[in-house]
Amino acid sequence: MRLEKCWFCSSTVYPGHGIQFVRNDAKIFRFCRSKCHKNFKMKRNPRKVKWTKAYRRLHGKDMTQDSTFEFERRRNRPERYDRNVTEMTLKAIKKIDKIRVDREVRHHKMRMKGKKAFEQQAAIKELENSIDLVKAPVALQQDSQFTLAKIKVEVSRSQPEGERMEE
Amino acid sequence: MIQPQTLLNVADNSGARELMCIRIIGAGNRRYAHIGDVIVAVIKEAVPNMPLERSEIIRAVIVRTCKELKRDNGMIIRYDDNAAVVIDQGGNPKGTRVFGAIARELRQLNFTKIVSLAPEVL
Repeated sequence: MRLEKCWFCSSTVYPGHGIQFVRNDAKIFRFCRSKCHKNFKMKRNPRKVKWTKAYRRLHGKDMTQDSTFEFERRRNRPERYDRNVTEMTLKAIKKIDKIRVDREVRHHKMRMKGKKAFEQQAAIKELENSIDLVKAPVALQQDSQFTLAKIKVEVSRSQPEGERMEE
Repeated sequence: MIQPQTLLNVADNSGARELMCIRIIGAGNRRYAHIGDVIVAVIKEAVPNMPLERSEIIRAVIVRTCKELKRDNGMIIRYDDNAAVVIDQGGNPKGTRVFGAIARELRQLNFTKIVSLAPEVL
């Protein structure tokens, strides 16, 4: 039993899932589900299809090089069964997965760094340009109170409760 | 899913190039033939100067189909074309070489010679 990778989206194909296509030159294409299979038949390039791992790696959205990937290499030599080795391997798989996930989260954080500052700058610029949608330019000139800083509006407390309810 | 009138490629060097299925052997009124079934076919296209000629009627075993082959372990395999290997009455291939990938099911059906000649068994 072997866990393969889908040719199109690079997710794992478990036994009993998906279709294998054998081309006439004996190259095997494995697909995890019919979505990937149909995209392949449409001759789509996975490097250009946004939701595939190939695209994400190519465009730097996901980690490309990491030492945790070395553990998942395809090995063709069968190992003799050893109970201790199996136990250690299972423990190691869990730990390596955790490390890999942590590194991916860190990679994502690095990618998103500076986004908040960028968004704030863009918001300030937009406010400067389109303040006339909110306040008329004449009003801005007359009363310099209406600036980019927080607009403080005085709420009069003289209105009784009953009047407000009638509205 | 091979049925009468289906054109099949020939996956060996027996001299035929293209076959048209006429009948499925060993089936009463069965509609379709799959990988491992023997069919009666007529040669539609042949390589010149070989023992097999056009419009000869021969038997062949199907080795590749475009229709998916389902295995007991849940694996589903699809090939790129429909292909057959020309055989004689005893089940031995008439050619000496086989081209392309062959399905593993043929070994269980006693076509061991074809499987041994195959460049790739999948």
